[in-house]
Amino acid sequence: MSLRTVRWAGVVLGFLGVALTILFHWQVFFWVPTEASMGIVQRIFYIHLPAAWVGFFAFGIVALCSAVYLWLGEEKLDHAARAAAEGGMIFTTIVLTSGPLWARLAWGTWWTWEPRLTLTLLLWFIYLGYFLVRSSTDNLDRGRKFAAVVGVVGALNIPLIHMSVYWFRSLHPQPVVARVDGPQLHPDMATTVFTALGAWTLVFLSLFLFRYAAARLEAYADRVEAARLNPTRSATPEEVMAP
Amino acid sequence: MKLRTSNRSIFPSQRMIMKSLRVLLPIVAVGFLLVLPELLHAQAAGQPGRQMRHFWHVFAAYAVAWALLFGWAVAIARRIARVEDRLKG
Repeated sequence: MSLRTVRWAGVVLGFLGVALTILFHWQVFFWVPTEASMGIVQRIFYIHLPAAWVGFFAFGIVALCSAVYLWLGEEKLDHAARAAAEGGMIFTTIVLTSGPLWARLAWGTWWTWEPRLTLTLLLWFIYLGYFLVRSSTDNLDRGRKFAAVVGVVGALNIPLIHMSVYWFRSLHPQPVVARVDGPQLHPDMATTVFTALGAWTLVFLSLFLFRYAAARLEAYADRVEAARLNPTRSATPEEVMAP
Repeated sequence: MKLRTSNRSIFPSQRMIMKSLRVLLPIVAVGFLLVLPELLHAQAAGQPGRQMRHFWHVFAAYAVAWALLFGWAVAIARRIARVEDRLKG
């Protein structure tokens, strides 16, 4: 895919994402009914749940691109995995900050070491390790391969997080949207949460594409500089492959 | 083969993104001010102290989320601006 295509895809997805984001904020603060038992604080749900889904989606992209990178060794796949990992960290951080803010009023505590919360924190640390491992060695290719292994292994935690509320005794409520028998929510609440999910998926995809394009441009700039510094040993700047 | 290093950037420039943020952030702030009475009205049945506490938790959660997303967008814009400068230079 050329950088021009990536740019246009990023811009279009970004505009759609911002439009849906404005819509979901209007829904959250002016339209959706207030939940009876928890009150206003339940409105954190409309960023907490979509952020978790988008975070898992991003780490899924990391695992997929990393696995294919280990197989084919294509540099672009590593760029995509790193871009998605950044997004995954951002959205998981949103989950880990909005969750305690909600829990303090709903459960009476900021944090408890119950399975789902602990596994989500573990996921965040695994992908922090993804970045640390990458920069832990001077050999660029080796760092990328180590990171790709962490990217694949870390994603195994995602199904565990989802199933943890069924398998273990958990304070965290069971899913109310991703259920076999359909969402167990007021229809207006379900509409709002799906709008928020769509908005943040589009915002993530837009920023992911721009981050991926930036990584490809950086790699290109590195190749150009290497060619300028030593034109006899490698290609001349004019011969360097375009990003 | 020529290098593709034209002066015209293929990405939204950092200046453009910062300009958008300067427009968007006041809109978000005004939005919260407009939303405040609605939120408090929705909690009219509760106790006043509890209402404010709920409001601040919701406000903090949304503010952190948007700060993180804006921060990531700005970091990407700066990265692109830097690499384009490298290619031009």
